[in-house]
Amino acid sequence: MTQCFDAGLSTRKCRERELYAIPISSSWFKWDEIHESERRSLPEFFEGGSYSRSPRVYKEYRDFIINKYREDPSKRLTFTDVRKCVVGDVGSLRKVFLFLEKWGLINFSVSDGKQQSEEDDGPVVIVEVGPAAGVRVVSGSSSSSSSFVDSAQAGGESAFRLPPLTSYSDAFGEWKPGSGLICGFCGGHYRSGLNESLNAGIAMCSKCLHKYTGNGKIEDDLTPNDHVDVKDQSSATCWTDTETLLLLEAVLKHGDDWDLIAQHVRTKNKLDCISRLIHLPFGDHMLGTISTKSNNANLITPLVEYKPSLQVLNDNPQEFTETNGDQQVEINKVEGIETASQDHSVKRRCFPPFTDTTNSFMKQVASFSTVCGPHVAAVALDAAIKALCQENPCAKMAFETNADKMVKPVSPPYKNEFKGDIKFEDGDAKRNKQSAYVSEKSFGATTFQVRAAIATSLAAAAARAKLAADQEEREMELLMASIIQAQLKKLQYKMKHLMEIELIMEKELSYVQQMKEFVMEEWVNLLEKLFEAGIPRWRDQVFPKTLVHTFPL
Amino acid sequence: MKSHPPCSSKTPVRFRMPTAENLIPIRLDIENEGQRFKDSFTWNPTDPDSEVISFAKRTVKDLKLPPIFITQISQSIHSQLAEFRSYEGQEMHLKERIVPIKLDIRVNNTVLRDQFLWDISNLESDPEEFARTLCKDLDIEDLEVGPTIAVCIREQLFEIAIQGVASARESRVGKKGRRGAESFINSKMSSSSLDLVKLFGSKGSVVRKRKDWYLYEPIVDILSNEEAEALDAREVQNARLKKKLDEKEDSFQERS
Repeated sequence: MTQCFDAGLSTRKCRERELYAIPISSSWFKWDEIHESERRSLPEFFEGGSYSRSPRVYKEYRDFIINKYREDPSKRLTFTDVRKCVVGDVGSLRKVFLFLEKWGLINFSVSDGKQQSEEDDGPVVIVEVGPAAGVRVVSGSSSSSSSFVDSAQAGGESAFRLPPLTSYSDAFGEWKPGSGLICGFCGGHYRSGLNESLNAGIAMCSKCLHKYTGNGKIEDDLTPNDHVDVKDQSSATCWTDTETLLLLEAVLKHGDDWDLIAQHVRTKNKLDCISRLIHLPFGDHMLGTISTKSNNANLITPLVEYKPSLQVLNDNPQEFTETNGDQQVEINKVEGIETASQDHSVKRRCFPPFTDTTNSFMKQVASFSTVCGPHVAAVALDAAIKALCQENPCAKMAFETNADKMVKPVSPPYKNEFKGDIKFEDGDAKRNKQSAYVSEKSFGATTFQVRAAIATSLAAAAARAKLAADQEEREMELLMASIIQAQLKKLQYKMKHLMEIELIMEKELSYVQQMKEFVMEEWVNLLEKLFEAGIPRWRDQVFPKTLVHTFPL
Repeated sequence: MKSHPPCSSKTPVRFRMPTAENLIPIRLDIENEGQRFKDSFTWNPTDPDSEVISFAKRTVKDLKLPPIFITQISQSIHSQLAEFRSYEGQEMHLKERIVPIKLDIRVNNTVLRDQFLWDISNLESDPEEFARTLCKDLDIEDLEVGPTIAVCIREQLFEIAIQGVASARESRVGKKGRRGAESFINSKMSSSSLDLVKLFGSKGSVVRKRKDWYLYEPIVDILSNEEAEALDAREVQNARLKKKLDEKEDSFQERS
């Protein structure tokens, strides 16, 4: 009997000494209560109106899950482990599980490659008051997982050494899926799974880890089960530039036939090609373009142009999709357009076809011109017509004759509006309507008008692009200026600070000198008194010499 | 605290899949001149019908099947869509009901058997997310398993949802005549679901007994290639035998 009692007591004492780590932001958690944040995040349990979802049920779920995790805090508790033990809708249960995981009440001290959640605070404090099972928790580190200790240390150190800032190349550089993660400390690539560990939210490669911990203790704690399966280290991960180039060429040439594409890119298999294409920024669009408009295969443009045009693409507003869409329909008719349009033709391939094929082409142009703004469209139309007229005098005639025709049929419907409006904008809008209207009516000089319309839209698009680029540049300048200003301010503050310190130093110096003089005086006085008193001078040669040596100033 | 049983039947909604996204499961199993095409996926019923034929064409092209499959695939999809749409106009009474969902699937070399509980009235449930979690927790590497799980769940949810509608229809019919039919149907349905009052009431506990935990645990088996092929062959044989039997039965019935 006494044995059992002792065992019970000792286990209780053992449990009292166990420490569990939870983030400081979860300090609201109490075994006996349900906190407001729980009610807020999981309202379906507290609304009533349900048999299977009630506060009591929620509390049972929560307590069970947390206790189950604490049976072995170093092992990650999965949802599947939990749901087999508990009765209830898996959907609601999953919400509870995710809630607890988010707040770090479970799966917090687990350090394995799969840890996805970022920790709320770098320094972790364990706080738990009034535990049910006699668990008492102390701030500091948990003894149950040494890796946790190291992470706290590393967290402290990492406060002084920040990870390298993302540079442009990181953010906009070529994205290689699975090419490896970058260590937060040394910036080198490393393979995921085996070597990484997230210390204070910063991924480290094994070398840096060893550096900080100074021993291989970490590796012992990372059991093989916790590693992400490093399976994808095959050639599927790294796509070099040449391979991507081959892939894009092959896609343009062969369209949808993935076997031929895989043949073209010799080093990658079909699935890799498909996934790579999808992951490229314009990959989806290319697929869409190719599958629906395979007859435009004759317009293969060099892939080099993709890169610069992509940069521009990112800036362009949505109107471009419309531009490029309706261009695609008429692309076969256009010849001899200036080189600027070469870039645009590249863009055409990249965007999905804007094929609202129920509308006629001219309607599309009209709708586009209304979208882009009457001023721009009118100006562009003018410029385009001028250019075309210069190119070919027949065009001019065609436009002029049409202009005559224009006045008569158009004037009746717009008569009222003409009389009423004197404003410039409306005039422009009408001009556009006229041009569109006229185009629909007269079939005589369709080709020229078509070309004019196309050139119009292209010019308008170019104008827009320039405006957007200018704005971007201005914004960049502004940002640069503000950065420089901030730096200058910093420098100013530092200078001020240094000057203040200098002043203090000077004062100190003068004080010290005064003290020295004072001491000197005293000594001289003492000697005088001694002389007068008749005491013989000390024969000690050392003494004055040492004093002499202290008179440097 | 003793709470009176809350109003457990919610206001009736238009028929739809009781999941966050209204996607219906489509299963294809077409055999033609020795070639067998099996597939399962989810379909968005709000997609235009023209998508079906383009999907069929794309599939046949990608898998290099003979073109006769195009019509058969699109027919199959259309008929399944039509079945779903036939229920669409009706109202669905979603009482809170927790039903067991069972999985018994084989995808390439992975065999999975599992069962778990699902609340049919939870309109925010997400089979795809459940499938993803399951594959992640069990470290299943084959990427085709997840979608298959989701489709399987959706199929079962669909069946149960139909029951909700069909019984409503029958009960309306039954009201005129046999009143007993309604209660009979209801009790038949609820026998497969949990007794909510007992379990979630004040005396029950939501935690299962340990000895029952193994029943609700997923079991994953990885087969070797030979075993998988053997199972495939047996399945094909079974399908053929079944087809023959069905044909015989049909002809027999016609005669008689």
